[in-house]
Amino acid sequence: MTVLTGADLEIRTGEIVGIVGANGSGKSTLMNILVGVLEQDAGTVERTGTVGWCPQDPLLYDRLTVGETFRLFGAGYGMTAEEIDEAKHRLASKLDFEQYLDYRIDQLSGGNRQKINLSIALMHDPDVLMLDEPYTGFDWETYLTFWDLAEELAADGTAVTMISHLIEEQSRLDRIYEVRDGQVYDVTDQEGETDTTAGERGEETDE
Amino acid sequence: MNRVRTGIRANVSTFLRTPLNVVLALLLPVVVIEGWGQAMAGLPTMPTVEAIPIELGRLLGAIFGVAIIAGLMGLAQMISARAADRRLVQTGYPPRTLLATRLATLGGVTVVVAAVNYGVLLLTISPEAPVLTFVFLVLAGLVYAFLGALVGALLPRLFEGSLVVVFLAMMDAFLSGDSPLAADVPEFVEYFPLYQPKELLQEAMFQGTYTTGDLGFVAGYLLVLLVLVTAVFGVTMRTSGGWSA
Repeated sequence: MTVLTGADLEIRTGEIVGIVGANGSGKSTLMNILVGVLEQDAGTVERTGTVGWCPQDPLLYDRLTVGETFRLFGAGYGMTAEEIDEAKHRLASKLDFEQYLDYRIDQLSGGNRQKINLSIALMHDPDVLMLDEPYTGFDWETYLTFWDLAEELAADGTAVTMISHLIEEQSRLDRIYEVRDGQVYDVTDQEGETDTTAGERGEETDE
Repeated sequence: MNRVRTGIRANVSTFLRTPLNVVLALLLPVVVIEGWGQAMAGLPTMPTVEAIPIELGRLLGAIFGVAIIAGLMGLAQMISARAADRRLVQTGYPPRTLLATRLATLGGVTVVVAAVNYGVLLLTISPEAPVLTFVFLVLAGLVYAFLGALVGALLPRLFEGSLVVVFLAMMDAFLSGDSPLAADVPEFVEYFPLYQPKELLQEAMFQGTYTTGDLGFVAGYLLVLLVLVTAVFGVTMRTSGGWSA
């Protein structure tokens, strides 16, 4: 099944870019292609720098503790034990999950699991952040903390790209791309007109 | 941070934190060894087989016990966290290193499971060559561990994959077992995964010797399975391209 028939976009340093669209429009497919976990049928993707990917569902190992999860993914990033430890404590303090470091992933609430999911994407200070609805399950305080963090990272030069469904977030985004009918449109200048919560406008397809 | 050490530690923790694994590994040997032994106790002695049926039954129970646990562990190692594995690979963790940590963990688990089965076996039988008997039991487990991993890589569904491994191991142990109930089996049974390990084990246990050709066959079998698992796992973990600084 073809989900995307044409996608042309660029993500620049220090920007917060939103990808919006109806359910099944191909947002996650687009992000998976940009991250590199899904291969595009045609076209090219140029990637420079390091990437941090926060998938929509927390892709973590249920029976590992939070600390062990950091160690394993940190090893994947090629970080030293000291760097992993520093990142773990910094993010645990920032996102308020210090008390859960010895808990297993399958013992965490959905919101706390999502914090770990996000932290794994952030732990190596990537140049580009790819976030697929990263705040699912967050309480209001954590949601605000998340946005502070995203703005701090962008100010430090990180390119932040996120799939968003909330129309009120559009004021926080530097640029907005809408995925519609298999195409990607830059709708930055149409703020307020983009129906990001429309839900069923597009045909249901596998994302 | 050392990726291999960290990966193996994570795999072992995951294994030990799955209670069913531990219960199966410890209890199944007693059930299958004695169960298989008693099931064959009433059968007549085969003219071509010197072993007493009950002892042969216990040996088959041991080989089946090791194979089934190792096979299911191999399957679970490949299936249980495939999506998380893809994310881990995306971070830069090489697929082959990940697979190596999985297979190393499987090897360790197989040795422990074989030791438990061997311990239960020793309660009723005194092997002529104890070390060889244990080594060949480990080899039988490794064959099924790799086979389970291959099934898991090809058929990433726990229920369906478990059925394949369980039925294959049962049929394999039964047909390979020189049982009077499975007389006149076709020649291709010799290529079944447990046939040659069973031959090695039987010879070591009852005669204290082994045939080099049989050992070479099992080594070749393991090598082929390893190549297949590596290839299939590599395909399932393939990403479209890396990020470069």
